[in-house]
Amino acid sequence: MEQHVGRDVGHDEDRLKTALSRAALGESAAFADLVREHQGMVFSIAYHYLHERSLAEDLAQEVFLELYQSLSRIQSAAHLTFWLRRVTANRCIDQGRKKVRRREQALEDAPEPVASDPPADPLLLERLQQSLAGLPEKQRLVVILRFQEGLGPAEIAEALDMPVNTVKSTLHRSLEELRKGLTRKLREVRYAFF
Amino acid sequence: MHFSEDDLRAALKRKDPGEGFTQRVMARVEQARAEGKTKPVNGKSKNNGTFFAWWTLRPAWTFAVVALLLLGFAWGGYQYSEYRHREEIRQMAEKQRQMEEKQRQLQAEAEKAKEQAILALQIARSKLNHVLQQAQVPTGMERIRRQRL
Repeated sequence: MEQHVGRDVGHDEDRLKTALSRAALGESAAFADLVREHQGMVFSIAYHYLHERSLAEDLAQEVFLELYQSLSRIQSAAHLTFWLRRVTANRCIDQGRKKVRRREQALEDAPEPVASDPPADPLLLERLQQSLAGLPEKQRLVVILRFQEGLGPAEIAEALDMPVNTVKSTLHRSLEELRKGLTRKLREVRYAFF
Repeated sequence: MHFSEDDLRAALKRKDPGEGFTQRVMARVEQARAEGKTKPVNGKSKNNGTFFAWWTLRPAWTFAVVALLLLGFAWGGYQYSEYRHREEIRQMAEKQRQMEEKQRQLQAEAEKAKEQAILALQIARSKLNHVLQQAQVPTGMERIRRQRL
């Protein structure tokens, strides 16, 4: 079974590598394959960071456009994933700052994206997402990369250009703040009811 | 309200960008390609693209570096003008000191000349007095001639 999975992963990597080299030669279909393969990751990082579907989609498109221009610099499938995470993270920070400046649409007004499965506890997940949106930019990105992408502190450190210990402390602090944020929101709900 | 890491994972589950996302990206790529704005770069560019990639990825750092450079230039310029100002003051003081020194020398020379002139006058006066005295005292021959008269 494990051998079978390992073969699948290897096959995927070969397929991506082939697509990468064909895309670098200018083949549109191969580039479309790369987009299809990574669009979920790029869009989700942007969406969880910005909490606005249209902005997240624009940002994801920009990232792929930049990827198209930088294809010759991408050496492998792993490098491609790393590159996409890094560029998306940096663009998220830039876009987040612009968004704050422009005072755009509030988080509560943002339409929900299409979710494949219904969440286990919708209220809790919504509160978690709202609390996450209140975190400072670096903390938010660290949490997204840790829990959306399942990256370890060393990988997050590499993607965000931060020391590993800073990532660990940031993660710890972010979880504390999320807990405090949730408790605060619960108190507000209680006051509203009683 | 407590939450587990699984709750967080569920809240941050990957989302689907929706139908047609790939097509929209490809349309933008095609549009950019048609406008000649973008193309996959085969081979490495002259400067390897690292500076521009760095610029794109780290605009905040770039601005910080530029701001630091500007600050450095401004500080350097201020320091240089201060140095020039100090140097001018030092040169003026030096000039003043030299002039005073020269004046002192001139004064000393004048004093010396005055003393020499006074000495010369004293010598001349004593010589004249001596001549006058000699002129008033009759010589031996004159005395004899006076006695004969």
